[in-house]
Amino acid sequence: MTPSRRTLQAWLFLAPALALLAVFSFWPVAFGSFLAFTDYSLIRPASWVGLDNFRYIFDNELFVTGLKNSLLFLLIVPCVQVGALGLAVLVNTRLPGIGLFRAAFYVPVVTTVSVVGIMWGFMFHEQGTLNYVLLWLHAVNAPVGWLSNDTLALFAIMFVTVWRGLGWYMVMYLAALQAIPADMQEAAILDGANRWQQFWKITVPMLRPTIMVCSILSVLAALKAYQEVDVLTQGGPMNSTFTALYYAYDQGLKHLKLPRALAASFVVSVFCIGIALLCLRYLKPKHR
Amino acid sequence: MKIKTLLTASMAFGFAASAWAADTNIEFWTFSMKPKFTPYFESVVRDYEAGNPGVKVEWIDFPWDVIQTKLVTRIVAGTPPALVNLNVPWADELARDGLLTPVDALMGDARAAYIPSALEDLRFKGKTYGFPMYSNVAVIAYNTAIFKDAGLTRAPRDLDEQLAFARQIAARTGKAGIAPALSKIDGLFMQQGLAVIANGKAVFNSAQHVALVRKLAATYQAGGLLKDSLFAEDNFPAVIDAYKGGRLGMLLAPPTALKRIQTDASDIYAITDVAPAPLGPTGIADGGWLIHFAIPKGVDARLLPAVGKFARYLTGDANQLAFARQASVFPATVKAAADPFFLELPEHAGAAEKAMAAGALSMAHSRTMYVAGIDDYNELRRALVKAVEAGVTGRQDVKQALDAAVVIWNKKLAAQKVQ
Repeated sequence: MTPSRRTLQAWLFLAPALALLAVFSFWPVAFGSFLAFTDYSLIRPASWVGLDNFRYIFDNELFVTGLKNSLLFLLIVPCVQVGALGLAVLVNTRLPGIGLFRAAFYVPVVTTVSVVGIMWGFMFHEQGTLNYVLLWLHAVNAPVGWLSNDTLALFAIMFVTVWRGLGWYMVMYLAALQAIPADMQEAAILDGANRWQQFWKITVPMLRPTIMVCSILSVLAALKAYQEVDVLTQGGPMNSTFTALYYAYDQGLKHLKLPRALAASFVVSVFCIGIALLCLRYLKPKHR
Repeated sequence: MKIKTLLTASMAFGFAASAWAADTNIEFWTFSMKPKFTPYFESVVRDYEAGNPGVKVEWIDFPWDVIQTKLVTRIVAGTPPALVNLNVPWADELARDGLLTPVDALMGDARAAYIPSALEDLRFKGKTYGFPMYSNVAVIAYNTAIFKDAGLTRAPRDLDEQLAFARQIAARTGKAGIAPALSKIDGLFMQQGLAVIANGKAVFNSAQHVALVRKLAATYQAGGLLKDSLFAEDNFPAVIDAYKGGRLGMLLAPPTALKRIQTDASDIYAITDVAPAPLGPTGIADGGWLIHFAIPKGVDARLLPAVGKFARYLTGDANQLAFARQASVFPATVKAAADPFFLELPEHAGAAEKAMAAGALSMAHSRTMYVAGIDDYNELRRALVKAVEAGVTGRQDVKQALDAAVVIWNKKLAAQKVQ
C-alpha cells in the first residue's frame, strides 16, 4: 500500500468521528466564539459589537471575582495529583480485598453532583457532621461556617472537587503503574536501590507522560469548575465562591445574557489553552 | 342541477367550517403542576373541549426553572404556546422585551371579576399582560412551645416586634427566632415603605435603610436569625426544614407550607399556631405572589379570540375556586376569594386551616414586591444582597456597605433609562 493510499484510508476511518466532532464541537465552539463579539439575543439578529462584551465582564465585579477564584482553584491540581498518585501506589498491591478499596476511592467519581451537593451540604452545615466531630474533639469552640463564611467557602468547595477527582486520576495512575515493566524494578533491587530510590528513579520517570496528561486534565477541570459551586453555594456567601464558568452559567442559562456568557467562556477557554500549553512545555517527557 | 350545485357548495362549506373548527388548537403551559394537579388540569381541559366542539386543548407542564428558556425559544421559533403561566417579575421582563401580547382587549367584561390589586400587578406601561390565576401571601406560623419557653404569648404585630421576639427566643432558648428571605431585601425595603430607586437613582443608603439593616444585624448577632441559607436565592427549603426540626420559632411562609409541616412533622404541626403576617407601614402584606396566564408574542391573531375565551374560562371563578381549594392558595377573582372556604374556620381547625383564614385576611393587602423596569436587575440585586450580607454579618459597616452598593447601582442605572 502506497503512503498516500494509506493516508487516505486513515482519513476515511477518521471521517465519521471528525464529522460528529465538527457538528457537535468545532462548529458550536467557533460560532459561540463569534457570538461573544456580538450583541446576540434570542429575540433579535446579532450585530458586531467588537470587544464590548469583554469590556463589560472585565468591568464586572462578579466576573473578576470569578476569574480570580478560578485561578485560585488551580491550587487543587497538585493536591489531586499527589493524592491520586499516593492512592494509586497504595492500592497497587496484591493484598486481599484491595479491589474494595479501589472501588471505594472511585465511588465519588461516579456519584452525581446533586448527591454530592446534598451530602457535603450536610457535612459542612453548621450543625452538620464535620462540626459535630470537631466540637466533640474540642478542636473548635463554636461551629464553623464552612459554607457561610466568605473566607472558607471557596476552600470547602475546592476540597469537594479534590475528593471527587481523586478516584479518576488514581485509576489512571494505577494503570500506568501496572504498565511499568517488573524487570526494571527487579534490576533496581539487585543494584541495591531502596524503595524511595526505586520510586524517584524508576516509577516517577516512567509515569511522567501520565503525570502530564493528568495534570493538564486537572488544570482544565479546575478552571472549568462550576457544578460544585451550583450545588453547594450558588456563588455565595457574598459572591465569594463565584468562578468564571459559574458566572458564564449564571449569565447564560439563568438570565439568558448569552453574549456575556460566551465572552466569559471565551476568556476561560483562553486560560485553559494557555495553561495547557505551559503544562505541555514543562511536563512533556524529554526522552523516552 | 341547481340543487346539485347547492348541495355541493354547502358540503364544501361544511367541510371548510369543520376543518377550521378542528384547527382551533390551544396549547397552554403551566409550571410545576405535575403530578399533584394533573387530575385538575385534565378535567379542566376535558370540560372545555366538551363545551366547545372543534377546539382542541393541549396542556404541557414544565419545571419552573426551565419554562422561561423554553418559552423564549418557542417564541423565537415562531411556535409559541397560546397561554403560559408566569409570575409578575418574569412577565415584566418579557413584556419589556416585547415578548408578550397585552390582553386588555381579550379580557373585556371579565376584567371586573378579578381582584384590582392583581390586575395592578400585571399592568406595565398602561397595558395588562395577563389573566390572574391565583395568588399567595405569607402568614406567620409559630412554634407555641418555643414561644412559651421564650415567655411570648402572642404573634408579632410588626417587623420590629418580629425581630425583638426573635432576639428574645434566641436569648431564652438558644434557638433562632425567624428566617427572613434576605436575598429579597429589596422587597422588604419596599414593604417597609423604603424606596429602592427614586428619580432613576438608587437610594437604599438613606438613614432609614441603614437603620433597618442595623436592626437585622443586631438580631443576627443575637442569634435571632436562622443562619441556614439566610442570603441564598431560595432559602425556603432550609427554613422549612429548620421549622420542621423544631429549630426555628417563627416561619413566614404561604399557607401551603403548613400542609407540608402537617405531612412531614406532625409533632411540630400539633404545637403550631398561625397569625396573619404583619403588614408593613405601607399596608402591604409580606410574601405576596401572583401567578397568571400570559399570551406570548407571535400567537396567530386569528386564534386570539379563542385563546381569550379559554383564558377567561381557565381563570374564571369556578376554576380558580376549585384550584385554590386543592392547592391551598388564594383565588385572584373577587367572587371566588369571598368564598366561605377561605374565611370560615371549621370546628377543630388545625394550623393549615387557620393559615388559609389568616392568609385570606391579608389577601386584600397582597402585592408582588419587586423593582420593575430595570435591565440586569438580578445582577444589581446581587450587589445589594452582598452589601446587606456584609452589614448584617458584621463584616463591614452597614452604611459603608450600602454606599458601595449604591455606587454600583447608579453606575449601571446611568447607562439605562429607568422606567
